[in-house]
Amino acid sequence: MASAETGTSTGKAATGVAYQIPRNSLALLMIAQVAVVLPYLLQLSPWIVAVGLFCGMWRTNVYLGRWDYPQRWVKALLVVACLLAVGISGVGAFSLEATASLLIAAFALKLIEMKSRRDAYVVIFLGYFAIATQFLFDQTILMAAYQLVAFMLVTAAMVGMNQRQTRVRPALSLKLAGALVLQALPLTLIIFLLFPRMAPLWTVPLPGAGKMGLQETVRPGDIASLTQSDELAFRAVVNGRVPPPNQLYWRGLVYSDFEAGSWRAAERRRAASEPLTEPGDLAYEVLLEPTMQTWLYTLENSTSEDPGIYRTVDGRLESREPVLSVFRYRAIRHDRSGDAEPLSDSMRTRETAIDPGANPRIQEHGRALLDEQGSAVGMVRAVLAEIQQGPYRYTLSPPQYPGRDSIDDFWFEGRAGFCAHYASAFVYLLRSAGIPARMVGGYLGGEVNPITGHLMVRQYDAHAWAEFFDPALGWVRVDPTAAVAPERVERGLSAALSSEDRASLSLFTAARLGEWDVAADLLRWADSLEHRWNLWVVGYDSHYQSRFLKDLLGEVTPSRIGLAILVGGVVSLGFVAMVMFWGRRPVQRHPVEKAFRDFSDKLAGFGYPRRPEESPSAFVRRVAHQVGLAEAQIGGLVAELDTLLYNPAVAWGQRELRALRSQLRRLQFRLAFGTTR
Amino acid sequence: MKQKLSAIQEALNGVLLGKEGQVQLALACLLARGHLLIEDLPGMGKTLLSHALARVLGLSYNRIQFTSDVLPSDIIGTSIFDRELGEFRFVEGPLFAQVVLADEINRATPKSQSALLEAMEERQVTVEGESRALPEPFFVIATQNPSTQTGTFPLPESQLDRFLMRIELGYPDPEAERELLKGGDRRKSLGLLQPLSDLETLAALQTAVDDIKVSDPLIEYIQRLVAFSRRGAEFAFGLSPRGSLALLQSARAWALLQDRSHVVPEDVQAVLPAVVDHRLRESADFAGHGGGALAQKLLTSVDVVG
Repeated sequence: MASAETGTSTGKAATGVAYQIPRNSLALLMIAQVAVVLPYLLQLSPWIVAVGLFCGMWRTNVYLGRWDYPQRWVKALLVVACLLAVGISGVGAFSLEATASLLIAAFALKLIEMKSRRDAYVVIFLGYFAIATQFLFDQTILMAAYQLVAFMLVTAAMVGMNQRQTRVRPALSLKLAGALVLQALPLTLIIFLLFPRMAPLWTVPLPGAGKMGLQETVRPGDIASLTQSDELAFRAVVNGRVPPPNQLYWRGLVYSDFEAGSWRAAERRRAASEPLTEPGDLAYEVLLEPTMQTWLYTLENSTSEDPGIYRTVDGRLESREPVLSVFRYRAIRHDRSGDAEPLSDSMRTRETAIDPGANPRIQEHGRALLDEQGSAVGMVRAVLAEIQQGPYRYTLSPPQYPGRDSIDDFWFEGRAGFCAHYASAFVYLLRSAGIPARMVGGYLGGEVNPITGHLMVRQYDAHAWAEFFDPALGWVRVDPTAAVAPERVERGLSAALSSEDRASLSLFTAARLGEWDVAADLLRWADSLEHRWNLWVVGYDSHYQSRFLKDLLGEVTPSRIGLAILVGGVVSLGFVAMVMFWGRRPVQRHPVEKAFRDFSDKLAGFGYPRRPEESPSAFVRRVAHQVGLAEAQIGGLVAELDTLLYNPAVAWGQRELRALRSQLRRLQFRLAFGTTR
Repeated sequence: MKQKLSAIQEALNGVLLGKEGQVQLALACLLARGHLLIEDLPGMGKTLLSHALARVLGLSYNRIQFTSDVLPSDIIGTSIFDRELGEFRFVEGPLFAQVVLADEINRATPKSQSALLEAMEERQVTVEGESRALPEPFFVIATQNPSTQTGTFPLPESQLDRFLMRIELGYPDPEAERELLKGGDRRKSLGLLQPLSDLETLAALQTAVDDIKVSDPLIEYIQRLVAFSRRGAEFAFGLSPRGSLALLQSARAWALLQDRSHVVPEDVQAVLPAVVDHRLRESADFAGHGGGALAQKLLTSVDVVG
């Protein structure tokens, strides 16, 4: 009780009644706040949510009149605690998580501090800011739809702030906010399309949380674990016919160094030679999901002219910046057969290096095979035949091959493995014989979405294969998996799986692989939606914008952009205005009422305005009386008006309507004449 | 029929001096089969008007004087044990009449009020599990003192809504009052009133009201009126559908009194204050009902022509 009294007294001292937050809009504001903070649950540590809940509980009790606002020192303590908590939570002092955590913590703490309208407006603008910040983490269409709703809620809270204290109508302010947001959409679209994307003044440190996907260091068993995930790796749009799956080898990383049972890809050098000169035979576009890495996935012998992408020594494409959001690039595959560049000495040394002490049996085997076959090509053929005819097995859950001689163990003892096991053993065999060879990691195949025709490549499409160097042919791709499980290459993972492998798949993966038709259809539909979103919204970056502007304006100059935005803005606002005007258009008028209204509008111009409660006949009578017309002169008109408007028993047609019109016109003329005289 | 109606009006105006408008409204209310609420200070002729109406129309007439200790059984009636017959016999209360004058209805307790109001809506009463039909026609003319006077239980909105019209009589103008003072007590002249109508004539008149034509533009005018009352900020709540029906029916009866076969906007405007005043409340007015300004607001704000 005592605390409540002090609360009201300090509240009154600080703010007049007029500046207080209306109670109904406070509730709406708190709901909006929850909606804004909710998606951050996925990115931020749970203690911030706890802070938010605590503040929300406190504020609710203040709202209900049970508690008082916290003392100054309590607030100070909370602020310091939050700062400390962010500091020691180990996300890095200037990382995005840390700054977002601070933003949300401040947003939550403001709950127990806001008293006046001004505070509430601060919270509202913070809410808008937090919505924008969330897009740094997540740009999917689902999140965008959610944020649109959150945006409406925040706007509704702002509308509620301006409602009268006595009229409590949260539904009304929600409706108004919805209308406002809808009306803003066309202009938003214009600004999205035309407003120049400026390069950021500083770069925001983006979340570095580990994403799924290929890693620079890989043990042969690692790739099998990726097949448990149905997460999307990238989508690709191919110009023309999509090649069959066994030609879609998406190269990501080239693993050249083998050490202690794991392969490492370390090559980042830029290719010195000229870009490929052969004609391109396939143009395609990739929309890569965020990987937090720099390597890109392309078909063999691909080049790209997009800025920020370069070609490496080992024939891959790399981005200069890590891929933090959906990254869109175009590439061309070149037809390159039978043309070999010589291998540099340093490369040759690297691509033939093996640890002489490890895996002695396979080294021995490799040397023996080369002696037997005489050439690299012959040896490759022999190895593949050996895999095909030997008791080798393709499985998602191979036995562990630990220890120094892991490849020996696999090749001679276990004989069961996943793609990486075969590729790794294959490379090792060739290197033992002094033939340059390397393992390549990437994805194989992909599923064509029948709705939009794009390829979806998922983590379970992850694959590893090998390349060896032939002086005549250059680097040649060999997929040893094709020898043990040809269905994997021909028809995708699903076909190559044994029943127990299949049972171990997650629900979604199973659905995607076509176990359930309806679910697969739904997922495909959702995917096509997301793809369009990426294509038109997320992927519409400064690069694509400048191309669009060039198409639209010809030469891109600031004045032309300004003009385009002006015209677009006027058109979009005009569109909104038209929609609103259409909504308020008068309903179909009674023809007699319309005729009379035309007449009374004219008369208002002559200085005889009609009062709204005056019926047509009363109005005519009054005006006639004012100018001194005799009752006999207007009696017929009055009766006619009355009959046509209000007596449904009398039928009338166009003739009567015309007669009435001419009578009205005559009276109008007489009045006009009377006034001018 | 026209002569009959003007004769009735003339007779009524002979009793209640200088109140032609109110007399006409009261008559229209009965022709539209509605109950009438007369609100005014004591001594303004409320009882006189209702009594005269019943007499002129040739209807049976009962009067209930409401006080704070009137019980529902005092109104409806009760069962009494009849020694001769050896069984219970229902003795009808004053409610069983064609015209019931409920005098000073807001002096009674809500319980007794609602006994009457139920009968108004259903035109029957239920006593000891048995439904008894009330006479046909059945009119209630209630009078009430302004709610600001002491010792009143104001009728809630739900019950006010059952009266088709509420009229106020007001002070007579000096001329009428002079004649009143010269002529002595008007109750004497009441006794001289002859019934000018019978049940058949009344039924025919009521049917004639139903036959009055209404055009689309007029319906739209009524809709605009009702919509304005629902949307306007100064209205605490809008007119109910029952309210809009009441408005139309009253306007029809008014048109019949003007000897017209169809309704014109002036008819609606003439009955509007009486029909809507007691159904509306200003949003600024939390306690009572001061609808007069609202009816004017409706009249002057809503355009007759669509």
